[in-house]
Amino acid sequence: MAINIKKVDRNVSMTFLERMYIPYMLHGMWVAIRHAAINMLGFFEEILAGKSKRQVMTLFYPEEYPDIPPAYRGKPTLVRRDDGLEACVACGLCEAACPPLCISIIGGERENGERYPVTYTLDGTRCIYCGFCEEVCPKEAIVMSDRFQGLCEYDREKMIYDKESLLVPREKLQKRLDTIRNKYFSEKRYR
Amino acid sequence: MREEDKERGYDFHKASHTETMTINMGPSHPATHGTVKFFLTLDGETIEDIDVEIGYLHRAFEKECEAQKWNGVFPYTDRLDYTASVLNNVGYAMAAEKLIGIEVPERCKYLRTMISEMARMSGHYTNVGAGALELGALTAFIYFIEARELLWDLIESICGARLTHNYVRIGGLTNDLPDGFRENVKRVFAKNRKLWDDFDIMLTKNRIFLDRMRDTGGISQKDAIAWGFTGPCLRAAGVPYDVRRAQPYLMYDRMNFDIPVGSTGDNFDRYLVRMEEIKQSMSIVEQCLEQMPEGPINVDDARWRMPSKDDSSTKMEPLIFHFKQIIEGQSIPAGEAYQAVEGANGELGFYLVSNGGGKPWKCRVRPPSFALTSALPLLVKGSMLADLIPTFDMINLIGGECDR
Ligand code: SF4
Ligand code: SF4
Repeated sequence: MAINIKKVDRNVSMTFLERMYIPYMLHGMWVAIRHAAINMLGFFEEILAGKSKRQVMTLFYPEEYPDIPPAYRGKPTLVRRDDGLEACVACGLCEAACPPLCISIIGGERENGERYPVTYTLDGTRCIYCGFCEEVCPKEAIVMSDRFQGLCEYDREKMIYDKESLLVPREKLQKRLDTIRNKYFSEKRYR
Repeated sequence: MREEDKERGYDFHKASHTETMTINMGPSHPATHGTVKFFLTLDGETIEDIDVEIGYLHRAFEKECEAQKWNGVFPYTDRLDYTASVLNNVGYAMAAEKLIGIEVPERCKYLRTMISEMARMSGHYTNVGAGALELGALTAFIYFIEARELLWDLIESICGARLTHNYVRIGGLTNDLPDGFRENVKRVFAKNRKLWDDFDIMLTKNRIFLDRMRDTGGISQKDAIAWGFTGPCLRAAGVPYDVRRAQPYLMYDRMNFDIPVGSTGDNFDRYLVRMEEIKQSMSIVEQCLEQMPEGPINVDDARWRMPSKDDSSTKMEPLIFHFKQIIEGQSIPAGEAYQAVEGANGELGFYLVSNGGGKPWKCRVRPPSFALTSALPLLVKGSMLADLIPTFDMINLIGGECDR
């Protein structure tokens, strides 16, 4: 294969009309007007017929919701098992892997010998949404949900999430749990 | 002072009782994106002297790396050149792999090549678009931002974030391509080509734009090499140096593409080189998708790959090893390695030193825009104040990368 060298043309060749400036300016205006028209009318699928999807980049945000891909990394959430308890076993791996050190856990033991986090604090002011906690967790107990709203607060105290506010039932996170099983592996689960 | 005056020994300032004026431009001036301050000495509108003050985005990247485990550095490299963050990921990962001496699988190399080119496109879109914006062409800027948004949607569907991708790992990648990715690329690139044409119509032959860009901020080949220029700015001066061609890495030696070079090194050449590179990058992405084989995306070695969730939740050995890896960090053999990749602004090099522990002993970055910014006084001294704006745009200082 070849990597060639190509000289760019800095003496842009202009036709007579382009040199006259005004026709060229009109051409530019035509481009701008075309875009403006698409932006104004492109919200209606019927007008620009034949296009299955609207032709406008922007969304009417609170009414319309963006498509969130399955790989999206939103707010980290803890998984609540079907029996109502947290899936986390307080092993501390996420604490060790988190680059900005935003997780702190105090572990304890239930009567049946199961380990669980007595407190699980995630500092939302420090989290960089990198997803390492989800990657390293051996129990699939913390996942990056698709939630991106309501993460900002006027008061930093409110951004320090405790265990109860992080827990989300497993059914709601099933899609993400399926996705992360494919992480690091191609779709055929190559070994 | 004008040259003729100097020869005659005539001092205009003295004769007319005027003085030069010193002003501060920045650090939060709309035209000094990336947060930088210029300390200008002006004679009327001519720049007599300029002092560039960088460092407003300094956050001790190199020191911070020493506190992170090898894989934990990736989120921080994202924030170097934040308009093209995967390129930094790739550079760091390749330096670490050189140190270990592993070779990543072919599919991984293709994916890295592809996403690097996407990042380069996004960097150039931002740079050229913002350059147009600061010369008053807001409309054209919006077209390129639209193109960048579409591109970021693609990247988001692969790795889950739009800006701070955190996609590459030592020994591979996190995710494979999602379903329907090829169709999306086709759709987005068709649209992006249209937007490129519109942008081109708006600016390339535009008289106002030409007058501001052509013959301003020029640099000769010799000076450009002497000041350590790399990337589009060096190529605009006519030196066909590109890391992708000089020391082919990843899959670039299997790709068919052109390296655009200019002749005078002025702002217009830099603009044209970047515009052409956007087109070439699109073609590289398409070639990658065409040639990409099936296969694994990570090395088949437990030391450099996370265990699968099945393994770590059912088998004891992988779990224990996993714990050891995460808590102590992957132990990379002691040694030193330098690896350069062609970043959006030029040669982006990572120099890593390991002492055999779980953390980098030293992680030095060679940021391309640092060398470019240091030559800014040379480029603008003696020209008009208004020429500083396009020159600074086309130099493309990215604060996160220059200041680290
Ligand atoms: S996403 Fe990253 S920063 Fe946030 S809690 Fe998880 S590991 Fe820490
Ligand atoms: S890695 Fe998982 S199981 Fe371990 S403490 Fe973190 S959330 Fe709990």
